[in-house]
Parts: sequence; C-alpha cells; structure tokens
Amino acid sequence: MTTPKRRRKRLDLLPYLMLAPIALLLLFVIVFPLFEAVRLALTDASLLNLARAKFIGLKNFQRLLSDTIFIDSIWRTLRWVVAVVVLEISLALPIALFLNRDFVGRGFMRAAVMVPYITPPAVVALLFLYIFDGNFGIANEFLVKMGIQDAYTAWMSDPTSSFWVVVAAMVWYGTPLMALILLAALQTIPEELYEAADVDGASAWTQFWRITVPHLVPSIMFLGLLRTIWMSNHIDMIFIMTTGGPGFSNYTEAVYSFKLTDEFRIGYASAVAVALSAVLMIGAALYVRYLARGVLKQAS
Amino acid sequence: MSRSFSRQSSYRHLWSLLGIVLILTYSLGPFLWLGIASITPDLKQVPDLTGIQEGASRIQYFPRHPTWDNYSQLFQNVPFGTYMRNSTIIATGNMLLSLTVACLGAYAFVRFRFAGRNSLLVAMLTAYTIPSVVLLVPMLVIFRTYGLNNTHLGMILAESTASAPFVLLLMINYFSTLPKELEEAAQVDGCGRFKILWRIVLPLSLPGLVAGGLLAFIMSWNDFLFAYLLTSNNDVKTLPVIMRQFAQGEPNIWGVSAAGAILSALPVALIFILFQRMLMSGLAAGAVKG
Repeated sequence: MTTPKRRRKRLDLLPYLMLAPIALLLLFVIVFPLFEAVRLALTDASLLNLARAKFIGLKNFQRLLSDTIFIDSIWRTLRWVVAVVVLEISLALPIALFLNRDFVGRGFMRAAVMVPYITPPAVVALLFLYIFDGNFGIANEFLVKMGIQDAYTAWMSDPTSSFWVVVAAMVWYGTPLMALILLAALQTIPEELYEAADVDGASAWTQFWRITVPHLVPSIMFLGLLRTIWMSNHIDMIFIMTTGGPGFSNYTEAVYSFKLTDEFRIGYASAVAVALSAVLMIGAALYVRYLARGVLKQAS
Repeated sequence: MSRSFSRQSSYRHLWSLLGIVLILTYSLGPFLWLGIASITPDLKQVPDLTGIQEGASRIQYFPRHPTWDNYSQLFQNVPFGTYMRNSTIIATGNMLLSLTVACLGAYAFVRFRFAGRNSLLVAMLTAYTIPSVVLLVPMLVIFRTYGLNNTHLGMILAESTASAPFVLLLMINYFSTLPKELEEAAQVDGCGRFKILWRIVLPLSLPGLVAGGLLAFIMSWNDFLFAYLLTSNNDVKTLPVIMRQFAQGEPNIWGVSAAGAILSALPVALIFILFQRMLMSGLAAGAVKG
C-alpha cells in the first residue's frame, strides 16, 4: 500500500523499460509501414525500379476516381461483406442458442464447432474448391442426384456461382467464432429473468423474443461492425480460390490492391489500400474505443 | 429457455441429438471427405468438363483401392517436409517473440502507474486494429530494403504484427485477474520486479501463457498473405503458400492436394484438441482480426 506513494516521488523508468520491446516492435512492423504506405501512395513506384520512383502528389487518388475496376469493386466489396456477415450471424445464432442448452457432451461440442475456425484459411479454400470441383465435387453429385442440376457444372468458371462458393467457404470458416462470441453473450443473461418469466407463464417463444433477443442485440451489432471491417479487408479466401476472376468478377478493393502488389505496381496498390483503410478506420475507431474502455477498466 | 422443455424430456433428447449430428456434420464432415480424397488414387484436376455425360456420376464415396501413395508423393515430388519445417520455425519464433514482448508490456500496464500509460495503451490497441491490407505493400518494400524478405526472421517479424498486440491484450486480461498480495509480499522481501514477474507472475499465469502462445503459433501457422508476399524461395515458403499452388492445379492431382491439406491442418487441430479448454477462453477474449 505504501509503494505507490513512494513511486510518485521520482520517475520510475522500469515500466518504460518493460514496454520498450513491444513498442519498438510495433513501431517497426506497424507504424513505420503505415507512414511508408502513405508515402508510396504518393509515388509512381514499381517494385522493379524502386529507386526511380517519383513523387506524383495525389495523382494516384485522382486516377482511382476514373478507374472502372476500382469503382466496380466498391459494390463487389459491399456485396461480399453483406453476404458473409448476414449469413455468418444467421448461422451462428442458432448454433449459439443450441450450445447454451443443457445436454450431455456440451463441452466437447463447444470445442468441436470451433474446428473450422482454427483450420488454415488456405486449407479451407482448397477444401471448398474440391467440394465444388467440376469433376469430383460432391456438391455436383448431390445436386444432380436431387434433381436440382441436370449435369456437373464447373462452379468456379462462372462469375455468380464462384462468388457463392467463396462466400460458402468464408462463412464455414468464420461462423464458429461468431457463435462463440454470441454464446458468451448468452451466458451473461441472468437466470432470474427466465425464472421470473416462467412464474408469469410466458412461453419459450415469448421468453426468446422478450429476454434473449434484446440481450443479444448489442453483441450482434458489435459483431456486425467488426466483421464488416475485417471482411472489407479480407483477401485470402477470394485470392486463393479465384485470384479475383473469372475476369474481375470477384475483385473487392482489398483483392484489387493485393493483385496490383502482386503485379509490382506498388504505388497504385498502396493508393487503393490507403483509400480503403481510410474508410475502414472510421469503424475501427469505434472498436478501439470499445476495446480501450474494457482494457483500461481491467488494468486499473 | 431449456427449462420450459424440461417436462418433455424425450423431445429434448431428440433435439439435442439432432443438434449434435448437424454440428458434427458441419465442422468435421468436410474433413472426412478430404481425408477420403487423400487416400484415393487418380483424382486428376481437369479444368474443362467436356466428355462428361449428363447425369453421369464420377464420385467414389470410398476408394476401391485405398492408398498412401498421395502422402509419399507429397514428400517425393514436392519438398513438403521443408515447407513443414519452415512453418514450424516461423510459428515457433513468432510465438516466443510475441510472448516475450507481450508479457513484459502487459505487466507494465497492469502493475505500474506511469505518465503516458493510457495513451500508450490506446496507441497499441489502435495498432492492433490497423487494417492489414495497408501494411502489405510497405512491408514488401521495407523487407526488401533491409534484406528481410525470404528469411525466417523477416517472416517472424511480419507475423508479429497481428499476434504481438493480440497476446498483449490476452496477458493484460490475465495478469489483472491475479491477486496483488503475493507480489507485494515478495516486494517487501526485497525481490526486484523482474524477479517477481519471472518467479511469481508467470508461473501463476501458465494457462494464459499457453493460450496466448499457442494462439500466436496458430495465427502464424495459418497466415497466407505475408507468407505469399514475402517468400519466393523454397527454403522459407510456408504451407499456406503451397496450398495456393495446389489450388492453382499444381501438381494437378486432388489426392496429393488433399494429403497436403490434411497434413497442414493436422498440427493446429491437434494443438486445439489438446488445449481446447485454455484456447477457447482466449479465442472468445479477442481473436477478432481476420
């Protein structure tokens, strides 16, 4: 109890010493690259002649406004985000409700449902390419047997069907995390509320709408925001499964930037990434505020 | 809600059983199918569908002649062992780096009050939420300049962008649940802060350390983007990069790709099963990037 008082008298360097390693690391791998990203976005840099990169001001950003790939990628990004986020939350909710029930083997099931989320996304991509393969895909087999499809189709060579296959892969991968967070929210609902409702003779259905849903709304909004940010950023699944194609049909802004990087056009790639991140940081700022409030409370 | 069903207990069991079957099919079914593919011979990846008759089935639900050939091809025709070694080195390095810097930082945040504490904490949380897409290009340029691309050290540093702040969050979480009294007693006995951290705090935090370390390992093992951009050399390439090559139709045989996918997913699956209790809480606490 006396130690804090004593410490106040002179500057204690120890905490700064302890923070130095992580601060230096983050300076090197996040802060420095961030400034470098903005600087590169103002140049015509190509990876092949970095030394000759010229400062061109805001020209890259002007070019974005008339770049049809960039413009069209805006709505493709929105389509991707909405499809994934809506499907993930609507699948995660019933899973979370089920895992919140009492049944034998509940602990095991809570872990089993998480398996897709810890699988490497590149493996998930390969797995779904195989399931939807033109020749050996079990999806084709089932759809033909059920009479929904006449013959095997090559899912990945069609703009629309390839989009939905990638969405399916992403939803399969991401839903477990959503379910886990919703489950955590469900567990914070006080039992007494349900007991009181039981006494009042409220049906299970009424209890669900009047007690469960209102308690979940903040978590669902939070998940929606968070997932929207990360899905706007997401590259792996789309890039591995489609490389953005066929044509430009699966380009989102993040994939566009990544493709430009892959083609060494790093000045312009950086401009796309900076423009996208600027929009996303508005949402991220809300998230930081939320995180900071929790962490500051805990650490004090 | 479950209580209102309690009188109709047979219904309840039926629902539970149905739920269990559905969830197991969802999360493990695709792996079963992948496992079967990995022991099936002759699944050529053919891009066009000409010559396939309408309604014709090409599916073997189980191979007539199961074989381990795909697995041995993986190590003969592709240097798969090298890729596994690279993934292991990078993930382990990232785990150790993240744990070290995060534990020191978290302890400073939890047990010290110092000028700039809150703003430093907010700065680090902000760093955590920076969209990774904006870091890719400059990382590529910086790493080339400093000769860090195509090195294990470079990959370890790149992977720490996500995992160091994440483990920091987890450890702040964990340290703040520990009682202060033990540390205060040790301080009275004349123990230095580092000694207290090493001898008292870290041993008490073992479950948190395991969760943070293993999740950092998994994040790095699973990462594709940095690995794809920053490695072009077989001596550094990691498994996800090879998965992408498989997806592009190289070596063109589904059985081999499936075998590779199984071996890439297996280590993290095993880690998860062995330590699921500790990892689940860590996942819920903050695994929100990606």
